[in-house]
Amino acid sequence: MAIISFNNITKNYKTGFRKQKTALMDFSLDIHEGEVFGFLGPNGAGKSTAIKLLLNLIFPTTGKAEIMGRGVAAREVKKLIGYLPENPYFYDYLNPIELLSFAGRTSNMDSLKILEKTESLLNTVGLWNERKRAIRSYSKGMLQRVGLALALIHDPKVVILDEPMTGLDPIGRRQVIDLILKLKSEGKTIFFSSHILEDIERVCDRIGILVNGRLVRIMDIKSESLTRPLEDIFIEEVEKAGGARE
Amino acid sequence: MTAAWYVALITFKEGIKGRVIFGIFIIALLLFAATTVVTTLFMRDIVKVAVDLSLSTVSFAGLLTLFFIGVNLFSKDLDKRTIYMVISRPISRPEYLIGKFMGIVFLSLLVVVFLGILSSVPVIMSKRFYYYPEAKFDWGIYCVAVIYIFIKLAVISAVITFFASFTSNSFITFILSLVAYIIGQSTEGVRLLLASQVEKIEVSPVLSYVVDIAYYVFPNISAFDLKTQAAHGLSINYSYAFWTALYAIFYITIAIVIGALIFRRREFP
Ligand SMILES: Nc1ncnc2c1ncn2[C@@H]1O[C@H](COP(=O)(O)OP(=O)(O)OP(=O)(O)O)[C@@H](O)[C@H]1O
Ligand SMILES: [Mg+2]
Repeated sequence: MAIISFNNITKNYKTGFRKQKTALMDFSLDIHEGEVFGFLGPNGAGKSTAIKLLLNLIFPTTGKAEIMGRGVAAREVKKLIGYLPENPYFYDYLNPIELLSFAGRTSNMDSLKILEKTESLLNTVGLWNERKRAIRSYSKGMLQRVGLALALIHDPKVVILDEPMTGLDPIGRRQVIDLILKLKSEGKTIFFSSHILEDIERVCDRIGILVNGRLVRIMDIKSESLTRPLEDIFIEEVEKAGGARE
Repeated sequence: MTAAWYVALITFKEGIKGRVIFGIFIIALLLFAATTVVTTLFMRDIVKVAVDLSLSTVSFAGLLTLFFIGVNLFSKDLDKRTIYMVISRPISRPEYLIGKFMGIVFLSLLVVVFLGILSSVPVIMSKRFYYYPEAKFDWGIYCVAVIYIFIKLAVISAVITFFASFTSNSFITFILSLVAYIIGQSTEGVRLLLASQVEKIEVSPVLSYVVDIAYYVFPNISAFDLKTQAAHGLSINYSYAFWTALYAIFYITIAIVIGALIFRRREFP
């Protein structure tokens, strides 16, 4: 069963009076239960756009996005999703404990469960010792880590991460990889975008390459083991599609 | 609606921890001190002056809170995309908007309660040191006046929420809300002036029509001002107070409902 499905989505952004920018063109993709799907594409390809559509932060111009067979606006659907935005930002003057408690409560968790989960997640992302500090004094990588904890506090079935490794140090990157693998072993479905091909190769079952708003290739990299470096395939696909910029 | 409640709490917390509110408290305390000093300069009506200035200070501090903290609490969410961590959870857009509104109202409630209590100090001082027997003063009426300052602030919070539902720039929200406030402050006076027709000025029907529209569209801010009653110890017309409170509830509901309808369709790219 497809957990996440994009059905013939086109997304135009208004860029001025009567001017539009097409970020996704007739985009369709199914992501299956329990798989780790890596979403690749040059800058400006439309990856974040596709992800924001899934969270109902923006609406498709045509087509429909669904999660577990339901439209993404449904509250029931939102309960199942954990999301890390690209360049996440949070309330300046609150600390991670307060943010996680807010997130947990909005997901109907009881306080005891929230406390437990907060401690384990902040340890996982390496912020337990900084937990009482206001977010505004955090570095970029630390914000990214808070974002990861927020995405996972409610034990979501579907995890959607927009460039989870960006801004992290090598140890942080490794922790994210381990985290993704752990989530996979728990049967979660993971959809994430990244520019770090090495990491993608390490954790993904399948990848999709998006160029200029079109999905140009889907590969099953677990079963058909790669005969060529992923980087070569990526560059070839981008060039075949006419380069990163139109 | 519990989701809106959580949004309200986090908004309130963020508003307090931002520390601007302490600056506002300090300004208010200085004004209270100044009131105490200034009242000694008046030979007569000292209590009236003290009451008037104290209530004005509470109201002013509340307005500062709304325009400098409230507006920012909205626009920072939209500018910096903090809203993603809220909207991507099981919280609908209308719940977010209502929660934000409630959070800002709580903030103004805090200001009014805290400063409302402190504002009694200059009043008590003026009564103690410069008491003259014919002065009429009643704490009950004073309290009602403070409560109506809060009601006024709640209405202005709704106006800010309404504007924030379609603007994303703090400056624009600020200006629009301020303009609405200023117009709302004066429509009743202008309307009365036009209706009285004491001077021999021809009032064009278009003008009085425009003023009428402004009167109904913008909140009638001056209606909540009970400073005169409090200062002169006049008894409050309870039917007036009742209808004014009902008007506030009505106005807030309409502003929030329209705001929520706009916000429902809003995208956060
Ligand atoms: N709010 C917006 N208004 C107008 N155009 C936009 C907007 N957001 C994105 N775009 C355009 O849509 C296209 C896709 O952007 P998107 O952010 O989805 O790319 P991306 O694949 O996530 O890129 P990156 O790897 O740099 O994060 C880009 O051309 C971008 O300029
Ligand atoms: Mg992106």
